Amino acid sequence: MDFDFSDQQYLFRETFHGFLEQNHDLKKHAALLEGDGFDADLWWGLADLGLFSMLVPEQFGGLGLSFVDMALVLEELGMELVGAPASETIVATDLIVRHGSEKQQARLLPLLAAGKLRVATAIAEPKSGFGDLNIQAQAASNSNGWRLNGHKIMVPHAVMADLIMVAARIGPSQELGLVMLEPQRKGVVLREQSTLDPACRFYAMTLDSVAVDVEDFLGGAVPQPTSLARLLDVSSAVAALQLTGIAGKVLDIAVAYAAQRVQFGKPIGSFQAIKHKCADMAVAIDAARSAAYYGAWAIAEDAVDRVKAVSMAKSFCGDTARQVCNEGIQIHGGMGFTWELGLHWYLRRAKVLEFSHGDAAFHRERVMAATLAELQRQE
Amino acid sequence: MDFTYSAENLRFRDELRQWLSDNLPIGWGVTVHEPKDEDERARFRLGWERQLFDGGWSGLDWPTQYGGRGATLIEQAIFSEEMARAGAPDGLNIIGRNLVGPTLMRHGTEAQRQRYLPKILSTDEVWCQGFSEPNAGSDLASINCRAERDGDHFVVNGQKVWTSFAQYSQWCILLVRTDRSLPKHQGISFMLVDMRSPGVTVRPLRQISGESEFNETFFEDVRVPAENIVGELNGGWKIAQTTLAAERGPGDAMARQIRFKRELDDLIVAAATLKRGSTSAIDDPVLRQKIAKSIVEIEIMRLSCLRSLSKLLKGSAPGAAASMLKLYWSHAAQGLYETALETLGFLAPLTDGDSLAPAEGRFQLGFLQSRAFTIYSGSSEIQRNIIAERMLGLPR
Ligand SMILES: Cc1cc2nc3c(=O)[nH]c(=O)nc-3n(C[C@H](O)[C@H](O)[C@H](O)COP(=O)(O)OP(=O)(O)OC[C@H]3O[C@@H](n4cnc5c(N)ncnc54)[C@H](O)[C@@H]3O)c2cc1C
Repeated sequence: MDFDFSDQQYLFRETFHGFLEQNHDLKKHAALLEGDGFDADLWWGLADLGLFSMLVPEQFGGLGLSFVDMALVLEELGMELVGAPASETIVATDLIVRHGSEKQQARLLPLLAAGKLRVATAIAEPKSGFGDLNIQAQAASNSNGWRLNGHKIMVPHAVMADLIMVAARIGPSQELGLVMLEPQRKGVVLREQSTLDPACRFYAMTLDSVAVDVEDFLGGAVPQPTSLARLLDVSSAVAALQLTGIAGKVLDIAVAYAAQRVQFGKPIGSFQAIKHKCADMAVAIDAARSAAYYGAWAIAEDAVDRVKAVSMAKSFCGDTARQVCNEGIQIHGGMGFTWELGLHWYLRRAKVLEFSHGDAAFHRERVMAATLAELQRQE
Repeated sequence: MDFTYSAENLRFRDELRQWLSDNLPIGWGVTVHEPKDEDERARFRLGWERQLFDGGWSGLDWPTQYGGRGATLIEQAIFSEEMARAGAPDGLNIIGRNLVGPTLMRHGTEAQRQRYLPKILSTDEVWCQGFSEPNAGSDLASINCRAERDGDHFVVNGQKVWTSFAQYSQWCILLVRTDRSLPKHQGISFMLVDMRSPGVTVRPLRQISGESEFNETFFEDVRVPAENIVGELNGGWKIAQTTLAAERGPGDAMARQIRFKRELDDLIVAAATLKRGSTSAIDDPVLRQKIAKSIVEIEIMRLSCLRSLSKLLKGSAPGAAASMLKLYWSHAAQGLYETALETLGFLAPLTDGDSLAPAEGRFQLGFLQSRAFTIYSGSSEIQRNIIAERMLGLPR
């Protein structure tokens, strides 16, 4: 047993850290509100470092690494607010590796490894709630072939995506599955949504009798009834890592500020009220890391306790990011409330992630159910 | 990162499971529980510890030359899991195993290690920790209890307080002032004192829970051989830091996690049987949220112990990381007991002795005991100072 990362894994993180430090900052982040909101330089820089090839097996031109290898890198991306489409492309890669048909893997994985395919996921619907229970989007076949109908919301960077992975009920069995299509397809209508974090570039997507083919279903002709559950879990695990990254970053910023901001003739960081807040934040972040890293391992191994591990991580890391972002702003006083300083970018991203793929309460309920099932098995 | 069990690991687990089912009293945890009388309970716990030792399960992570098993990290993790699953009792010699062991292994002479360590595991010698005094708690370096040289002995005079298990102990790790002329951190020595020496008086103190686990301990002209000083004369403060780090570190926390996990499992069972109107408490969505929060927090405690141990194995120093772990678990565990009482709802006030008290009042007792978690081993405020100043580098 070893609950630590390898030197190589730490090295990966350092590489990405160095690159992001050089090439990304809050100013560039704020600029994403203009234009199409997609930073092509950043994307290709990350691609050159191998980000998108990590999960792709070697036979398809990737590095053949596991989700554990991604964990520190995803935390690092979180720190620098690098989210979709990069994060969603990584999630989709995992899904295609696990659930894609041979044909789909041969076609998509080399493109993904080269950074030539941007993927967005489309799960939530106006009335779906969290999870997959109430998903209504539907692919049905008639004499003209398959048609996809439905409404999706909060599809990040949908216009810039090459492929959108849509959660839908498929065929007469209504089994949940994933359908992959290009946003340009006839019948796809995108409307940009106004959100708490405008840099996320969320779109509502209407699917009006969109022609799809069996080849568009993840897994092809072979149904993949567990693929959507995995998509939700991988997305949650990624969100947990990113939330942890954000929390770590905000603590660093707050500590640096507390050490240099002087009031009453002393750095405010010498006051216990501030100092102790910072210590509590550090403790919460350390615990969040334990949960997020274990979640990553459970995803990598598809462990028997995957659901519980992921839900522990998502709930705890969401709560932690909430605490740390709020306190981080408090420690900055009036400066913390300004647009200019930019702390709000972390708050905004953390808030969006907190409510993506199930909030803390949703995931705690999953933990409860999984624990009861465990106890029952033991009896 | 690796959490998978090899065939050898599984053999270790099966062996332990078998041993537990052979050695725990029949009906353990269902019809048979720990004795309620404190002295009987202490004897019971010591007896259990002895059984573990005889079975080769004590001092799992200790080197074999001191009677340990030299187990790997995964074996330690499996051990915790299995002990929790079996609801195994605690031991009594917690200070000996968790504090004295690591301290002597790091700072003791080989002669001291040979003399003291094996008897800790064999339960022949129980230990207590004489650090705190009436005027030296958080500010531990202000201790006043003094030891003066007299030939090849030291003569100890003074008072300690909150000395847990002193009434059951043969030995004590004692912090004493050996030089008043030096600055307060520099005139302290760390010594091993035989509690059976003439001049040692132990007076139990009644605790919040009604129990008397801790004591006042008085030393009046107690003669201690000079060879019982650990490390250098006047070099005791540094050694005490090792003890405190062990007290706050993953070894101690891992053992506690077993107990909290067991409490949680019992709580869930209680919640399934307790009625709330027409449904069970476990069906109450508000309660489910709170219980789940505790499940997550206590499970993270285990994960954080494993993370910490993994790092320690690679040679990183414990230090402030131990304070993070202690601060984390103490509050998480207090939360667990608050949730436990909320789960019992209107029956929460009933304690042991009333026939209607759920689980014979165990959760109420646990709740009262949990108030100490954020006080001993360095209060939460002290841990926060340590974390903020030593880890985050904030100004004093
Ligand atoms: C159940 C139990 C068992 C114990 N067992 C042992 C034992 O076996 N051996 C042993 O030696 N000791 C033992 N102790 C003692 C324990 O270590 C002390 O109680 C603890 O260190 C606090 O010291 P104090 O009680 O003197 O409180 P004080 O130091 O007087 O603290 C009182 C309050 O002031 C706060 N405070 C103090 N200084 C600061 C500061 N600088 N900044 C902010 N807040 C501060 C504290 O956090 C606390 O809230 C035990 C205590 C308990 C409760």
